[in-house]
Amino acid sequence: MATAWPDKDDHALLELIQNGSHEAFAELVRRHTERSYRIAYRFVQSKESAEDVVQDAFLKLWEEPAKWHGELSNKFTTWFYRVVANLCLDRLKRKRTVELDEDMPLADERPTADEIMMRAEAQLILEKEIAALPERQRTALNLCFDAGLSNQEAADVMGLKLKAVQSLIMRAKTTLKERMKAHL
Amino acid sequence: MSDNRDERLESMLRSRRHEAASPDLAARIILTARGITQRQNVSIWQLIRDLCAEFHLPKPAYVLACALALGIVVGLNTPWDSSSVQDGNASNIQGFLSADEELL
Repeated sequence: MATAWPDKDDHALLELIQNGSHEAFAELVRRHTERSYRIAYRFVQSKESAEDVVQDAFLKLWEEPAKWHGELSNKFTTWFYRVVANLCLDRLKRKRTVELDEDMPLADERPTADEIMMRAEAQLILEKEIAALPERQRTALNLCFDAGLSNQEAADVMGLKLKAVQSLIMRAKTTLKERMKAHL
Repeated sequence: MSDNRDERLESMLRSRRHEAASPDLAARIILTARGITQRQNVSIWQLIRDLCAEFHLPKPAYVLACALALGIVVGLNTPWDSSSVQDGNASNIQGFLSADEELL
């Protein structure tokens, strides 16, 4: 009988991975690669580095699946995004200066050439201002706005209380509003 | 005015550009994992069980070992008298030979 992998939740897949199931691992990778990549990308600002981080995180999980202790109260994604974030921070510590790629392609469509220019410029400034934010504010902002995590999930990933994350986001937004005054 | 700026900032934050991941990223990870063997966390009991398994002997070896042990036990419990009978025989022969010498 064929196993319906998509029907299995993360915990079930992890138990199978602990028994050496490559198929379960493949399903878990397919399920979480995209979002993990987005989180990693926001930290390292480079496609290659983000892909390396995601690959490292998944391979670490495969190599030592016992590292994941499947407490029912703990979501796999919370734990895994924390692993990804920590790997990114390690990488950033090794490579102190992160330079923004000015030729990054634009993801959204724009109707006119002027608007394209204005939005592109505003986005570029926004990226620079976000990069200049304190690390914890930047992390909270990335997790909530880019990776699409809820404030509570971001708090779990960062190991903080919900109110602390809300406060970090509030401060980050206040700083950005102030610095982006001309572009808002 | 402030609300408007809030909305714009949020909209910009949500539509931040990013390079999409390579379409084969997941496949690459899965393929790489196939070449990696898992490291299992070994508990102390598992370690002891493995150690015992190292000394596991096939059944014929146990039969042989039991037979040897039984032989030793039987040998040790055998009374010394049987060996003194042999000693007695040896002294009789010595007596017979020395009797011959006396005649000469």
